[in-house]
Amino acid sequence: MSSVQSPAAPTPTSSDRSPGAATVELQNVRKCYDEFVAVDGLTLSIKPGGIYGLLGPNGAGKTSTIRMIMRITVPDAGQITVFGEPLSRAHMDQFGYLPEERGLYKKMKVLDHLVFLGQLKGLSAAEAHKRTNAWCERFEFSAWTSKKVEELSKGMQQKVQFIAAVLHDPRLIIMDEPFTGLDPANAVVLKDVLLEMAKAGKTILLSTHRMDQVERLCQSICLINHGHAVLEGDLNQIKARYGRHNVQIKYDGDASFLEEKRLVQSFNDYGNYVEVRLAPGADSQDLLRLASSKARLDKFEVMEPSLEEIFIDVVGKSNA
Amino acid sequence: MRNTWVILKREYLQRVRTRTFLVLTLLAPAIMTALMIFPAKLATMSQKADYVVIVTSTKQFGEMVREQLLSELAVSDDDDAEESGSKQKPEEQYTIVVDTTATESERSSLRDKIDTHTIDAFIWLTDDAIAAHKVTWTGREVASSREKVWLGDAVNRIVQHQQLSKQGLSSSQADELLKPVKVESVRIDRGRETKGSGSSRFLEITVMVMLIYVAVLLYGISVMRSVLEEKTSRIMEVLLSSASPTELMTGKILGVGAVGLTQIVVWTVMGGVIALPSLAAQPNFGDLQLSPLMMVSFVLYFLLGYLLYSTMYATIGAITTTEQEGQQLQFLIVMPLVLSVFMLMPVIRAPDSATVMWLSLVPFLAPIVMYARIVIQTPPLWQIGLSLLLMVGTIAGLVILCARIYRVGVLIYGKRANLPEIMKWLKYAKA
Repeated sequence: MSSVQSPAAPTPTSSDRSPGAATVELQNVRKCYDEFVAVDGLTLSIKPGGIYGLLGPNGAGKTSTIRMIMRITVPDAGQITVFGEPLSRAHMDQFGYLPEERGLYKKMKVLDHLVFLGQLKGLSAAEAHKRTNAWCERFEFSAWTSKKVEELSKGMQQKVQFIAAVLHDPRLIIMDEPFTGLDPANAVVLKDVLLEMAKAGKTILLSTHRMDQVERLCQSICLINHGHAVLEGDLNQIKARYGRHNVQIKYDGDASFLEEKRLVQSFNDYGNYVEVRLAPGADSQDLLRLASSKARLDKFEVMEPSLEEIFIDVVGKSNA
Repeated sequence: MRNTWVILKREYLQRVRTRTFLVLTLLAPAIMTALMIFPAKLATMSQKADYVVIVTSTKQFGEMVREQLLSELAVSDDDDAEESGSKQKPEEQYTIVVDTTATESERSSLRDKIDTHTIDAFIWLTDDAIAAHKVTWTGREVASSREKVWLGDAVNRIVQHQQLSKQGLSSSQADELLKPVKVESVRIDRGRETKGSGSSRFLEITVMVMLIYVAVLLYGISVMRSVLEEKTSRIMEVLLSSASPTELMTGKILGVGAVGLTQIVVWTVMGGVIALPSLAAQPNFGDLQLSPLMMVSFVLYFLLGYLLYSTMYATIGAITTTEQEGQQLQFLIVMPLVLSVFMLMPVIRAPDSATVMWLSLVPFLAPIVMYARIVIQTPPLWQIGLSLLLMVGTIAGLVILCARIYRVGVLIYGKRANLPEIMKWLKYAKA
């Protein structure tokens, strides 16, 4: 499936127009609703190409941020630039948007609906028609294009919305929780398409609170909490900064080494294996020696910190 | 512009392609025609000739009264035709029989005949009664004022005729003396004489009122529903990522508006084909002198009025979250419409009074009130221009207001908007 060329035939040329300029840049952006500060001095920079993860707990300000980029609301303060220019209505045709709040005209036929949304993005009716058919083939529901939206299952409607977001071959694709509501098989199809577009030079902003997806898909992330960025940048660098404090051990025999407070800060027994968090300053090699002297080891692996841990760690600190 | 057009096209096609639209467009005129023709037919069918007996002392006098009654009926019907539209011959309305047995027993037997429905009424017109200046109409129904006048005129004329003959005048001289004066109304419009009668002027205003009412009530609701649908189906966020709220609102109002116009045009054409032959046969059809100004202003005021009220519906759709809520606020729209209809009487009575002038400039009243002024007594052109300008301005202002409320509505689902809330929304939606 992933070998199939994207029907929209994405061309990387679009992101080359202003080399060096970030695709999206937010500087000290602030948005309040009455007393509630939704976004508070957010600064982030999305480089051209690849998938950028916008992460954060519920109510952190992800959707508010996206709505400002989409010009649905206007920031109270701060600057948003896209492709090196101040954000304006003229950019809208180069954005593709899958909002968290999904909706389609229930009485419209799928094909008509997609052609309509494509035309709103500046495609000719004929071109929108052609591309819709290609995408529907790709998602294997060509048989459904003449059906009304209301006859479709939730998952299929979501595919229609995804197609609507990418039909006009946008330079920047913004996806707000795109995987919710998809069954595993369709989630894989969607993931493949996203990766493929990223490879073709598209910039994708993926907003989610699912750490595992971000971990697998994104090159860069911005972790926001209470409206500002608590972590931003290249995912590998962030992980490296957080060091390798975790060890996964599969053993048989005496477990007393887990009680060694000098080496083990805490551990989590998952039944088949335990996950150990090393005490500050402890060397994983010391633990290996100690453990192997007490028990028979099947597995001893020093783990990269998961994004979830980093997230809980950072959010915990910033909340404290 | 591009987006407005795309949205307009979608709204239009989406509605016109439905089966409901087709059925409504084709069936409504049929139903309307049936509704209009059936009661009229029913009325004429039930109207069989009234059987009236005239009781007089002499046969000759009775015949004279009978003839006079029938001939007066023919004359007065000519005048009334434009209102009632009935063109029945006098003989079809009344069967008049002369009875010369003027006795009390005859009177009571006639009473019995009324009870048994053999006759409908009898007129006691003996020489004694005339000498006493007292004639009685006895019937199942009390004589209507029209019948009293009719009978009174006829009897008076005959009696006067007889008196004049006795004074030595010839019959033709007496006729000449007694010939009734006919009053004709002439209307001066911008120096030109037109013969249009008051009722035909009123017809044009009624058509305007009806059209605006029907169009607003039928299609205004669709605009509101369409705005609400986008909010409840949550497609608005996708739309807003492609088009500005103003483009959305404009496209929607114009698109749904075009659907309404299509239907009205179809209906007018169908109605015209059905009704024109019988309308043209009407004696006062030629009186319906439509000046170019009147026709242009009819189209302008109808279109702008329709747009204005649709925009109000769109605004209500943007403020509310459910259709029930929207319908509760509908009175805000119907009120000015009803008010303008109430205004019609003062307008007809004093079309150039200061109050009427100011009220006719109010955009929400102008489509009916200003149009009525134009029809009755053309106001200064600057007033027409100003009222049109004010309407266009109000529509533009409402579209922008409505667009802003709609945009902020994205952020708030399922929350009823009160006035302070709306003001806050407007603040958020700046730019």
